[in-house]
Amino acid sequence: MEPLIGVNCSAIECTSLSTSAPIWQDILAQAMTGELLAAMNYASLSEICEDPAEVADALEHSECERGHAAAFAAEGRKIGVEVCNNVDAKHWKRLREAFLRCVTERDFIGCLIVQEIMLESFAVASYSRVGKVGPGSLGATFARIAAEEGEHVDHAMSILRAERARNAQRFDDKVYRLHLDVMTTLAQMLAKECKDGHCEVCHASCVKPSLSEVSLSAAELRGASLQQYLKTLDMLGIPGEVTLRWVTQLPV
Amino acid sequence: MGHAVASVTTRAIDADFALIGHQESWQAAADVLAVLRGPERTPLPDGEIKDILPWIPPRAVCHVDIESIVRTKNGGAKAHGLYIDSFIPPDRLEAAYVHENIARVRAAAASAIQAGAKIVGLGGFSSILIEGNFDQLPERHGTVFTTGNTLTVAFIVQGIQKMCALEGRDISRSTLLIVGATGDVGSGCARCLAPLVRRVLLSARNAERLRRLAAELEADGVQVEIATDLQRFSAEADVVICAASLASPSLLLGRIAPYAIVCDAGYPKNLSPTAEMPDAKVFFGGLGQITGGMRFTPNFHGVLNRHPFPDVVHGCLLEGMALALEHRFEPFSQGRGFITQERVEKIETIAARHGIYLAPLYNADGPVEDGTSLPHGMIEGSIFRLKEKRPCAQM
Repeated sequence: MEPLIGVNCSAIECTSLSTSAPIWQDILAQAMTGELLAAMNYASLSEICEDPAEVADALEHSECERGHAAAFAAEGRKIGVEVCNNVDAKHWKRLREAFLRCVTERDFIGCLIVQEIMLESFAVASYSRVGKVGPGSLGATFARIAAEEGEHVDHAMSILRAERARNAQRFDDKVYRLHLDVMTTLAQMLAKECKDGHCEVCHASCVKPSLSEVSLSAAELRGASLQQYLKTLDMLGIPGEVTLRWVTQLPV
Repeated sequence: MGHAVASVTTRAIDADFALIGHQESWQAAADVLAVLRGPERTPLPDGEIKDILPWIPPRAVCHVDIESIVRTKNGGAKAHGLYIDSFIPPDRLEAAYVHENIARVRAAAASAIQAGAKIVGLGGFSSILIEGNFDQLPERHGTVFTTGNTLTVAFIVQGIQKMCALEGRDISRSTLLIVGATGDVGSGCARCLAPLVRRVLLSARNAERLRRLAAELEADGVQVEIATDLQRFSAEADVVICAASLASPSLLLGRIAPYAIVCDAGYPKNLSPTAEMPDAKVFFGGLGQITGGMRFTPNFHGVLNRHPFPDVVHGCLLEGMALALEHRFEPFSQGRGFITQERVEKIETIAARHGIYLAPLYNADGPVEDGTSLPHGMIEGSIFRLKEKRPCAQM
C-alpha cells in the first residue's frame, strides 16, 4: 500500500464546538478518507495513461481530490475538531485494492468504472445529503464538493459510453465483475449498522446511530448513494432491469 | 482524457409494449425484491425494504412475452414487452405525495420511451395520476400511452353481468350504485350500465362533476340520483361498483342491501377489510385473462400477477397488450370522461380476437366461480353482443 497522503491545510481559527461536533468529526473523517483514496487512485491511474493529455488530466484530478480532503480538514478545524483519515481502514483498503487490481491489469476503463461510477456515485449522493443539513460553511463545502465530483462523473461518462458502444456485452460484464467486488464493500460500509466491527475511521464508537442528531440517517445515505449509482448506470445505457437485480442482491 | 466518443444507441430494446405499475402493499413489494435477489439469498427484512424501496428509481423489472390465439405461420402471434415499476411506496399513494408520484410515473414513462416501447399501458394508480396530465409525460419519440381504462370498464361491466347471471338476477330490475362515479372508469361504467338497469345512483366527492355526468346520462333518457356522501345510497342498491381513487382499501359502505352484488374495481382496492357486508356477493372487477399465455423473464409469475387464476392481469394493462398484439399502436384511452359504449365494444372486440377475456371472478376469500364454466345464456367476451367465439383449447 502507498503511504498515507499528508494534507497541507492553512490554519483556521476554531469558532465553535457544538455537541454535534464529534458527529461531524466522523462524517468529515469518512469524507476526507474517501477524497484521499480518490487522490491516490487518480495518481495511480496516471501511471497507466498513454496519452500525455490523459496523464495530465489524471494528475489534475488527483490534486483536485487532495484539495477536497484539505477542505474537509479545514471544516473540522472550524468546529474545533481534528479530522483524521485512514485509507488503510478495512473497507477503504479493500476499495483501494480493487482499484489497484485494475491498474495492475492496465485496465483504464476498469479504473474509471471503479472510481467514477462506483466511488463517485457514493460521494456525490452522500455529500449532497450532508450538504443539505450541514451547518454553515461545512454544509456549503459538502455541497460544493458534491457538485465538483458530479462534474468528474460527467467527464468520464462520455469515455465509458463510447466504450460500451464498441461492445455492450463485454462492457456490462466488466461492470458487473467490478460491481461484485467494489459495490459489495460499499454496501457493507453503507449498511445501517456496522455488523462486522469498527470501521477504523470513526474516532470512537460507530457514528451511524448518532446521525439522526444532525438530521441524517445511515438508511438515507445508503438509499441516496444506491439511487445515484443506478442513475449513473442508466446513463451508461446498461438495462435498468439488469442493474436493479445487481443492486437488490447487495448485502444489507 | 482523449478517448474518442462514439454515438450511443438510446433505444436499446424496442419493445412492442410496456406496462407501468407499482406494488399496492409492502408484502407485494417484498415479493418483487425477493425474486430479484434470487432464491439463494435471504429475503430482505421488512425494515430494510421500507428503507430501500423509496430510493429505487423507476425502471424495468422484467420482460413480458404474450401470445395471441390468432395463429400465424410460427404459432400464435406474439408481442414482447417490459414491466416497468414506478416503485411508488405503498404508503405514499395519498394526495400529499402526488407531485412525487407524478414524477415517478414520468420517469417510468421515460424508461418505456428509452426502451422503444410502441405502446405503454398505465396501470392502476399511474393512470389516475396521469389521466388528466398527459402533457406532463416526457417527449414521446413514437411511443403512445393509454390508461387502459376502456378495457377495465369492459371487464367491470362483463363481471357485473356475469355475477348477475351466476346469482340468477335480472340486471334490468337492478338498482345500480357507482361509488367514484365521476372518475374515468366510474363514468365509463355509468354510460355502459345505466341503460341496462332500472335505477341509477351515483356518488362521488366532486358535486359539479356529478351534476355534469347526471345531466349527460339524463340527456340519454336515464333517470339518475346523485350524492357526494359515498355512503348515502348503500342500503338502496343491489348492484354496487366501487371505482373510487383511494390510496388504500378504506371504503366503508355502511349498511349494504342483503345479497347485493359488489364489484371492487379499485387499484388499490376500495373496500376496507373491516367492511361488514354479510351476504353481499363481492368480487374484484376489471380483470382479464390472456388465454394465449404470458411469460415473465425473470419469472415473476404469482408475484406481479397475484391472482388465484393463471395469466390474469388488470384490464388497464391488458388494453396495451391487446393493442400491441393487434399492431394498433394508438392512445386508445386518454383523458377523463371519454369512455363510451362504442369504445368499450371496440376494445373488447380487439381483446377477444387475441384471446383476452374477462377473468374468472374472485374476491379476497378466493374464487367465486370455478373458472371453467359460465351459466347458461351468459354471453362470453362481449358485454353487449357475441363477437368472438372463445376457443375451448385455450384455457
